Amino acid sequence: MTPLVELRHVNRTFKKGRTPIPVLQDINLAVAPNEILCLVGESGCGKTTTGKIMAGLLDASSGEMLYEGRSLVAYRGQARADARRALQIVHQDPFASLNPAHTIGQILSYPLKRHNMVQGRAAVRRRIWELLTLVDLTPPGDIVNKFPHQLSGGQRQRVSIARALTVEPRLIVADEAVSMVDVSIRISLLKMLHRLRDELNVAIVFITHDLALAKYFAWEGRIAVMYLGRVVEIGATANVIGHPAHPYTRALIAAIPEADPELTRNKQRMKLRSEDIPSLTQIPPGCSFHPRCPFFVPGVCDTRVPPLENAPGFSQDVACIPLTSGMGLQEWAPVEDMVADGP
Amino acid sequence: MIGFEMTATLSGLLIGMVCGLVPLIVGIRTHTLKPGIMGFVACTFSGFACGFLGGIPMILLATAVVISHAYIDREDPFTSRASIDEVSFEESWQDFALRKLAGLGRTVRASTHALVRNKAGFLGFLGLLFFFLMTVFGPSFIEYDGSAHLERRQPGARSLFQGPSAEFPLGLDWQGRDVLSHIVYGGRTLILTSVEAGIITTIIAVLLGSMAALLGGVVDQLLSAASNFILTIPQFPLLLVLASLVNFDSPIYLALLFAALGWPALMRAVRAQVLSLRERDYVQAAVALDLGLPHIISREVLPNMISYIVVNMIFSIRAAMYSLVGLMFLGMVPLREPDWGMMIFMGRQQGALFNTAAASMLLSPILAIALFQLSLVLFTRSLEEIFNPRLRSGV
Repeated sequence: MTPLVELRHVNRTFKKGRTPIPVLQDINLAVAPNEILCLVGESGCGKTTTGKIMAGLLDASSGEMLYEGRSLVAYRGQARADARRALQIVHQDPFASLNPAHTIGQILSYPLKRHNMVQGRAAVRRRIWELLTLVDLTPPGDIVNKFPHQLSGGQRQRVSIARALTVEPRLIVADEAVSMVDVSIRISLLKMLHRLRDELNVAIVFITHDLALAKYFAWEGRIAVMYLGRVVEIGATANVIGHPAHPYTRALIAAIPEADPELTRNKQRMKLRSEDIPSLTQIPPGCSFHPRCPFFVPGVCDTRVPPLENAPGFSQDVACIPLTSGMGLQEWAPVEDMVADGP
Repeated sequence: MIGFEMTATLSGLLIGMVCGLVPLIVGIRTHTLKPGIMGFVACTFSGFACGFLGGIPMILLATAVVISHAYIDREDPFTSRASIDEVSFEESWQDFALRKLAGLGRTVRASTHALVRNKAGFLGFLGLLFFFLMTVFGPSFIEYDGSAHLERRQPGARSLFQGPSAEFPLGLDWQGRDVLSHIVYGGRTLILTSVEAGIITTIIAVLLGSMAALLGGVVDQLLSAASNFILTIPQFPLLLVLASLVNFDSPIYLALLFAALGWPALMRAVRAQVLSLRERDYVQAAVALDLGLPHIISREVLPNMISYIVVNMIFSIRAAMYSLVGLMFLGMVPLREPDWGMMIFMGRQQGALFNTAAASMLLSPILAIALFQLSLVLFTRSLEEIFNPRLRSGV
């Protein structure tokens, strides 16, 4: 089956003054229709940039972004407009993503009218009613004439989802869509996204820094773990969470706080060799995680960039040479003469 | 000048009253008599002041306000509590027009509330209203005193200057003319020229500023360089030199000159605003929804800048007025009497600075200019509230 959206060898650099910053390096991702794909990683790892490229809001510096098997730039005319509309994004900050100057009704009516999604004034209003009901904003009459600042964060996030739905998209990129919403509202938002995916047959790319959220939301889907602009591990959520392969994923999972203090106290924490994330301008050679990796193999990890491939014993793909070559992971112990450079 | 032909005439009054019948009748029919009568008064006044130009738009606004009082949200099918199957979204065009007019009326009412709520802003509004009434209706009551009156010389006085008296509340000038009449007649050219200059400045600044921000690259660099260049030139000396070289027979040329020198500061501010606004999430969402550039500029970016632009337009008007008065004071602009600026210039020429009897003649135009400026600046406070949906919709 042709993936709905595919990134092939996508690189993206931003320029800060004269120095280019490679935010994404060699990203290969495919999203099938109606799939849930979760992008997780620390802040600054390129999740949002990946999401924006997938939503067609940002161009790749090199590599290709394919929509239904064809490069997005190859589309022309009406097909391009259709492709453009099929990819929608829901932003992180519900306070910034709605124009404060318009009422909710206006915000939803603009795309409906512009693209003739429905015919006639009455149909537009009926559709707005349906959309507001779809995102659980009921009764719609209480919402439609309000300005965004009169709504709560959760309500606004629902409005931005409804706005994305006006153009009947095939893919919604939810960029940290629930992280700025009150915890008590999150679950209902996530459930709603699940329901929309089932009812409207959309694929969802869910970007988050919260692995617990990713686990909950993408349990039937896949998770891609990103680190410093690369995908280091990708596979079915149950496998990645239940049986993590890449040392970075293991560290992330070990760091999830448990609600049970007993459990947290006894939990095996992974000791990283360094707490600092390397700067994007000075990405370490070889595997970019090697300066922090507790399973570092000198001469292997710091020389070659690990390819993302299946590792023996795991069902997911992972970018870690000791794993994929079958060497296995051994705790790295500092050798005396390597550290002793003092007097 | 534009807008002054139909002012304060009997025909204007008639036009206004005819226009006012519309909201009045609507008010009577919908049993909302009070807003109807207020609409009638507003239309009459507006028609009297500005003729057709004031009367016709006022019909719309006043009628909308009247309807917004009569129209209850529950009449809108959308806000009913019924389920979607029970609601019919079809509406006749009359219902549609009613709904839209009620919406407009609510906006007008909310704006009025916002205007009144800010005390400083409302004070500024009253000040501007006072100057408006004075320049528009004043000439109907006070005759312009244009020729010298040697017979008004007081026995023993060494000049025709006179302090305030019962007959001449603001005294007499060096030719024995009534200062009050000069104050009443002298604001027109000055205010109109400054307002024109302010509007032209703002239009240039907004166009160039958004062009620089949206097109970027070479256009941005050229425009920024040009604005830097103009900003480094000392404005007033340049105005002086230009004013002495060029003959400004019409106020509009002066306004254009002020605009040509005044746009850079505002253009840079607008550029910065557009640069920041176009990165907002809701603009990105509009791009993703493929709403088109005209929509993005007119609906997403502009409404969020409008209060900023209007406030800055007021400041441009203020700056233009000061420059104009300054030029006149130095005698560089050949504007005809009556004019507040000319009063100061002539007063100085005729030795008013050294004559206690001339104090009122010299202070009156200064006070008029200062009060007008103060009203403008105070009024910006209300404008901010009117154009900010966050502050406005608290009603």
